[in-house]
This record gives sequence, C-alpha cells and structure tokens, in this order.
Amino acid sequence: MALLEISDLHTYYGQIHALKGITLTVGEGEIVTLVGANGAGKSTTLRTVSGIARPRTGSIRFAGRDITGMKPHDIAALGISHVPEGRRIFPLLTVQENIEIGAWNVADRKQIGKRMQEMFALFPRLRERVQQKGGTLSGGEQQMLAIARALMCDPKVLLLDEPSMGLAPVLVEGIFDIITRINQEQKTTILLVEQNALMALEVASRGYVLQSGKIVLADTAHALMHNEEVRRVYLGEN
Amino acid sequence: MEARSPADWMYRFLLFPLGQMLAFIAGSAFILTLLAYGIALLFPEPRPNIVLADQIGRQLPGMVISGITTGFVYAMIALGYTMVYGVLKFINFAHSELFMVGSVVGFEVFLVFSAQAMLLTWHPVLLVAIAVLSAGLVSGLLAVTMERVAYRPLRGAPRLVPLISAIGVSFFMVDFVRALMAITRNDFNLTYPLNGVDWARAPIPLLIGTTTVNLRPTQIIIIVGAVLMLLFLNYFVNGTKLGRGIRAVSQDMTTAGLMGINVNRIIALTFFVGGAFGGAAGALFGMNVGTVTPFVGFFPGLKAFIAAVLGGIGSVTGALLGGLTLGMIESFLNGVLVYFPVFGQRYTDIFAFAVLILILIFRPSGILGEKVDEKV
Repeated sequence: MALLEISDLHTYYGQIHALKGITLTVGEGEIVTLVGANGAGKSTTLRTVSGIARPRTGSIRFAGRDITGMKPHDIAALGISHVPEGRRIFPLLTVQENIEIGAWNVADRKQIGKRMQEMFALFPRLRERVQQKGGTLSGGEQQMLAIARALMCDPKVLLLDEPSMGLAPVLVEGIFDIITRINQEQKTTILLVEQNALMALEVASRGYVLQSGKIVLADTAHALMHNEEVRRVYLGEN
Repeated sequence: MEARSPADWMYRFLLFPLGQMLAFIAGSAFILTLLAYGIALLFPEPRPNIVLADQIGRQLPGMVISGITTGFVYAMIALGYTMVYGVLKFINFAHSELFMVGSVVGFEVFLVFSAQAMLLTWHPVLLVAIAVLSAGLVSGLLAVTMERVAYRPLRGAPRLVPLISAIGVSFFMVDFVRALMAITRNDFNLTYPLNGVDWARAPIPLLIGTTTVNLRPTQIIIIVGAVLMLLFLNYFVNGTKLGRGIRAVSQDMTTAGLMGINVNRIIALTFFVGGAFGGAAGALFGMNVGTVTPFVGFFPGLKAFIAAVLGGIGSVTGALLGGLTLGMIESFLNGVLVYFPVFGQRYTDIFAFAVLILILIFRPSGILGEKVDEKV
C-alpha cells in the first residue's frame, strides 16, 4: 500500500478548475516528482495535500487514513511537511526561531535540540547565521532554512515545491544533493514539484507529467527522461 | 536550542525593555519641554500677570508624571489594537469596550472588598493585584468570545465587513453593560469605594528641586502595574513558544498552519492577551479617576488607537512608544493651554486627533512601523 494515495482530485480556485482529476501514489521511501509547465497544477496538488487548498471532490489518503479536507495543522501533525513555493520563511524571526517553529508539535526539548544539531550538520551555513533574521538570508540560505524547518518534526512525507526556484545554478546542484541525502539518510518520502524537470527526474524514482490540471504521463523517472515527448516539451530539446 | 546565560536573559527581558521605556519617557519629555518653552517665548504672558515660563517650570515634574501615567494607560490599551492588527490586519474597534468592561469589573471587585471590610485590612498590593487580574481575566475571555462570535465567521470577507461588525459589537457592549448596571445597581455612574482609603487617595508629596509635587498613589500604582505587565508581555512575546507562535502567525498565517500551528487558537490567544491588557488598564484607570461609566471606553480607546498608529500599528514596541508619547503630549498641552484665555484645557483632544491626521498623511506606517512592502 502506498504511503500517499491521491485519487481523482478536483480543486478549484474560485471559478478556475485547477485540478481536473489528479490520481497519483507515492510509496514509502520514494522520491516522486511532478513536472509540467507553469499553471499545470503542480503546486495546487501539493497545496491540496497539505490542506491549504480544499478539494471539491476526490480523496487523499495518508498511511491508509483519509485526510481529505483536514486542517493544515492537523495534516502537519500527522507527519506531512510542506516546503511551500517561494520558501515562505518567517522574515522577522531569527534562523533559530524559524527552525524551532518547525518543531511546533514536538514536545520533547531534547529531541528538538538533537534534531536541530542534525539540521546544522546538513546545512552548516545555517549554524553560522543562527541569530540572524530570516529575511536577511540569501535565497539559497532561505531555501536551506525552509527545508530544515520542514524537517524539524521528522516528517514521514516531505512536500517540496520548487526548491530550485530563483537559485543560482551552483546552488541548485547543492539543493538536489541535499534532497537525495534526506531521502537516503532519513528515509523521508519526498514528493517533489519542479520546473527544472531534468534535475528532478535525475533524483526521482518515478515521475508524473502534468498538463492543465491533468496527469498526461506517469512512468519511472528513467523512462520519462528518455521519452521523446517529455524531452521535447519539458527538457527543451528539439 | 542553545542555552541562554542568565546575563543575556536579564538583558533581553529586563534591562532592555526597561531602558526602552525610560528612553521613550525621557525623549518625549525632553522634546516637549523644549516645545513648551518655545511657546513661552512666543507668548510670554498669555494672560495679565501670568508668566508662562515660570508656570511651566513649576508644573514640569507634575506634567511629566501625569504624562507617564496617561501614557502607560494608552500603551496598555494600544497593545490590544496592535497585537490583533498584527495577526489579522484588522482594527478591533470594540477593543475600547474591553477597557470599559475592565474598569467596571474593577469597580465590582472593589465593591466586594469594601463590603467585606478588606479595603483597610488586606495589603493594598494584594487588593490591586486581585482587582487588576480579575479585570484582565474577564476582558480577556470577553475578547476571545468576541472573536469567536463576531469576527471569525467573517474571516476572508472584505476588510470593511469585520470592521462594521466591530463597531456593532462596541455599541452592543456599551448598552449591555449599561442595562446590566441599570438593572443591578439602578445607576451607571460607578464610583470606586476608595474615597477615604489612604493607600489609594492620600497624596504623596514628592520634593523635586525646590518644588513639591503631590503624587496620587493610584498614579504610582498605574506606573508600577503597567511596567510589570509590559515586562511580562515582552517576555511572553519574545521569550516563549506561544509568543513565537503569535509572531509566526502575524508574519505568515498560511505557512504557520503548515508548521502545525493551530492558527485559530493562536488568534484566540492574541485576543485574550490584548483583551486582558485592555481590561487591566481599565481597572487601573478606574482606580485613578474614581468614577467610571459604560461610556468610559470611548475616548481612551480612541486615543490608544491613535497611539498605536503613531507608534506603528502592528509593532508592540510601537504601541509602547506611541502610548507614552501621546500621553506626554496631552499632559504638556494640558499644562500649557490652561494659561491661555479661551483656548483652555478642554481643547487638548483636538491635538490628539491632529496627531492622527498628521501621522496618516506624512508617515502612515507610524514611527516604528514596518514598511508596508515588508508584509507578505
């Protein structure tokens, strides 16, 4: 049984039919990626899973439990961590406070301290900036902070929305290395949304291609990378 | 989580906020003293045989103390406006009624003290603490109820809608308390039973230089009480997990929800804290003025709103700065204007509202306000 099962999900933004029947699964320990153009519904899918957007019909099951329509904080408490598009770190909280907020539902202070040290090992840059305000960090550092914050609660599933957005190419490599490490070392299941389809498919085991709110292709990442259509449309080859 | 040293803790939660208050008081007192003497230069004798500069010199310590007292009351009310604005971007215009309810609860509590003959036997500090905490508790719970009933259902509605609802709540509460007092007491001029109680009413002479200023004990109670509560608030907002949650929600509500924070609970908590401070201020204010009515919230509430805008709405430090500054401005104007013919003390309100208009025109984000574009 898959850890995350989404079936026939329809989400609207006002009159706009953003998701037109999304069905996908994410197995335990996998990295699954959603690729597609702007406005294809990738972010909306993540937003619906984490409860920020409400689906009109369809269902989301997490570890066998129906979480459709639950509040974001209840979904987070179950172990689904969402790193939103644009990082959305708290600009006026310090790096440390941002990280601590990520552990909101963790009661054990020792656990929090230990986890924080793990995050500093993963992102040494954050340790140097620990008392700095989040808003003063560079884009790459903010992305690290957003990921560290999301990992503080030791989630079962990490939803990553455009982690490479706005980062210099050299930093993008680093972020994808980290994503792979998180998946391998912490055994965290990852659902990754990316515009940078090539990078995403390189780290993922499976992928879905979205187009105007529908899934048009689903295959292993390897197969998608070698799919003519995908290469032409999403990887920018002729 | 790195451990903080006790020295660091002392600095962050004791010395720094105390220093801040002192700086705000000293700064505004200094500027206003210069202004007052400036007026004295322009109008040396506003009335025959009255030398304004001499009068100012004599009045100065009294003006400063009364400015601090009023200023702290404004600051405590302003906190409620600013905290609620911080999380919801919404001005709770019924906040002034939480102050009013606090002053009425304070009255009821003192009535009990008086009936039980506790006023003269129990320690004043204990009596004041009980009255202020009860007022804070009742107003805090009322604020939470207000949010649940009148504002939460309107979340996501256009901004004007909850504002109108708030005005409705305000009228409702004034008339509700008025009806309640009319039924139970047959009168809604509520006089604290403190007359003749020495610890509350006997003037305390204070010798400053060559002049003696008579302090009212309730002024000292207001100042000490407000300082303690403001220190607590600073610790709560900046030093505790819940305070961190409030700050996170006020910066980015959606993302705070993703972190597992129950946003509605944090909003309710914010209303509770803001309401409690308003209510506590009401009880302190009531003890000082002696008589309160169900209408007593209107002007202090409005002035505190001005104070919040002046300091920078959304900023807790701004509420403190705005409150103290506005209190000081009013006190100095009272002290100076009283010597002018026609243009007497009764006109000080004009200046408070003039401050509001000037701030809104020239610096809408207030003295300490964040730039608008910094908000998400």
